[in-house]
Amino acid sequence: MAKRPLTLQINGKLVGPLEVPDDLMMIEFLHEYLNLTGSRLGCGQGICRACVLILDKPDGTSEEVRTCITGAHFFNGKQVRTIEGLAQRDASGAVSQMSPVQQKFVEHFSFQCSYCTPGYVNAATIMVEKLQRQPVKRSELEQEIEAALGQHICRCTGYVRYYQAAKAVVEELGLVREG
Amino acid sequence: MRNLLLVTVLFSPALFAAQSSEVERGAYLARAADCVACHSTDDSAPYAGGLPLESPFGTIYGTNITPDKEFGIGNYTADDFYNAVAHGKRADGANLYPAMPYTSYHLIKREDSDAIYAFLMTLEPINRPAPETSLSFPFNLRFGLSFWNMLYGSELQLAPTTGKSEQWQRGEYLVEVLGHCGECHTPRNVAGAMQQDKTLQGGVILGYLAPSLKAEDLLARGWNSEDLATFMAHGISDQGSMFNEMYPVLHHSTQYLSLGDHQAMATYLLGEQPGPSAVISTQPLATLSESAQRGRQDYLNLCAGCHAAEGQGVPHVAVAMRGNTTLRQADSRNLLRVIDDGIAEQQFTGFERMQPMPGFADQLDDGQLRDLLNYLRQTWGGLPEDMTAPQVSELRSQKGH
Repeated sequence: MAKRPLTLQINGKLVGPLEVPDDLMMIEFLHEYLNLTGSRLGCGQGICRACVLILDKPDGTSEEVRTCITGAHFFNGKQVRTIEGLAQRDASGAVSQMSPVQQKFVEHFSFQCSYCTPGYVNAATIMVEKLQRQPVKRSELEQEIEAALGQHICRCTGYVRYYQAAKAVVEELGLVREG
Repeated sequence: MRNLLLVTVLFSPALFAAQSSEVERGAYLARAADCVACHSTDDSAPYAGGLPLESPFGTIYGTNITPDKEFGIGNYTADDFYNAVAHGKRADGANLYPAMPYTSYHLIKREDSDAIYAFLMTLEPINRPAPETSLSFPFNLRFGLSFWNMLYGSELQLAPTTGKSEQWQRGEYLVEVLGHCGECHTPRNVAGAMQQDKTLQGGVILGYLAPSLKAEDLLARGWNSEDLATFMAHGISDQGSMFNEMYPVLHHSTQYLSLGDHQAMATYLLGEQPGPSAVISTQPLATLSESAQRGRQDYLNLCAGCHAAEGQGVPHVAVAMRGNTTLRQADSRNLLRVIDDGIAEQQFTGFERMQPMPGFADQLDDGQLRDLLNYLRQTWGGLPEDMTAPQVSELRSQKGH
């Protein structure tokens, strides 16, 4: 397979240009080229969403993208975040403080085996950031969480705790308005 | 004595068997004619009506054809029913709108109409009105349809059957009359009537192409009799899968037909001795146009994760691009629409399924979509000419028309 140069920003750092095969999927690029192994390969067919990363768009909004079915070169010139980029780190690179979503997922024991967790964290992070730009009415909160997490699959039956944690973090950050 | 005779006749085992076999035949024919598709909704009882049919003239609702006396056809006689099916006349004499495909059904055999009637009369009456059809003026005036009917109501004529096998004739009846395939696959004129000089040459419905079913076109797009019969039985074959308006046809109708009827339809469509179906070999990247070569990377970025880098597809996930009949349509609107809109998860018969395909309308501008279409058409479709961005833009703007 032919290769071509790939340059992108991952977790705030510029990566590349690296010579990457034209048909390499993003998840393999993250795992094999950058040793960012937190994005999980689940179904490999774009269904379970354990592999999603956060694509930050120029207009300031973000969306999740499935890295198992999206080519690495799709992200050329773009800005993305992976699960490794959400917590605060100290000068040595060690995690010093989890993100509010991560913290709340831990407090609620939201996951068991944790295989699907990176996908859930990224999806919930996108939702929280969206609500920081525009808070949600209380009457629409559950709908908002369903829209954000509803397509993610967890095989340890963790849905309820994920949903509770997502609701708690949104409420604690004051992103709910009455109505 | 007379009453006793009547009771004896009514409950005679032989008569009961004949009636029950007519009802069974009617149930089969109702499926072949796909009555349930328009005369039901997802949340209604079968045949209780309510499906909205969008037309350029307004929205027409499928009626309740259960034997309910108030809202259904409980007061219809077999003659009334035949008149409605074959001539578009309600029992009260009013004209039905030709969303009811009586222009195809008008050649239905009287005994088949009677069998469907017998079957419908065994259903539970559903005492529920279908929503009122309301069309804009002047299309809301049903008497105006008398003129339309004079022009188009009985225009469908079957091809001469001299020298044709029984199988071919059965296929013709299933395709042209009961299956009313032409209602979508034949282009329509400005009055909304099928253009009988272009029968089965392909029509456009709500932005999608119901492709040509002419034998030479089917062969050029890679069809053979066996695969065509498989496609009708299972909704999927080497040439791809049913989608859009054809997908429910599988679920309501074609899956229930016998293998013999699937083969008969294939024989009618492809001919008694079909020629060879076209084999289109994969074109190497270096031979493609500049636009198509650019499209290769979009294919790898967005499509190859499921359809595979060399277009071989993934079983039970996504159909192959190699040999796919949709890529071989010179009018690429279906390819474009599927890329833009995606396809929901699909269940076929025989334990086959396909996973949902996301839509990429937000990911691809007209130039990128042009390049991707050119890559697909040229690599696997045998269509070397380039599409242009204005053509893509024009097709995109026709969504829903």
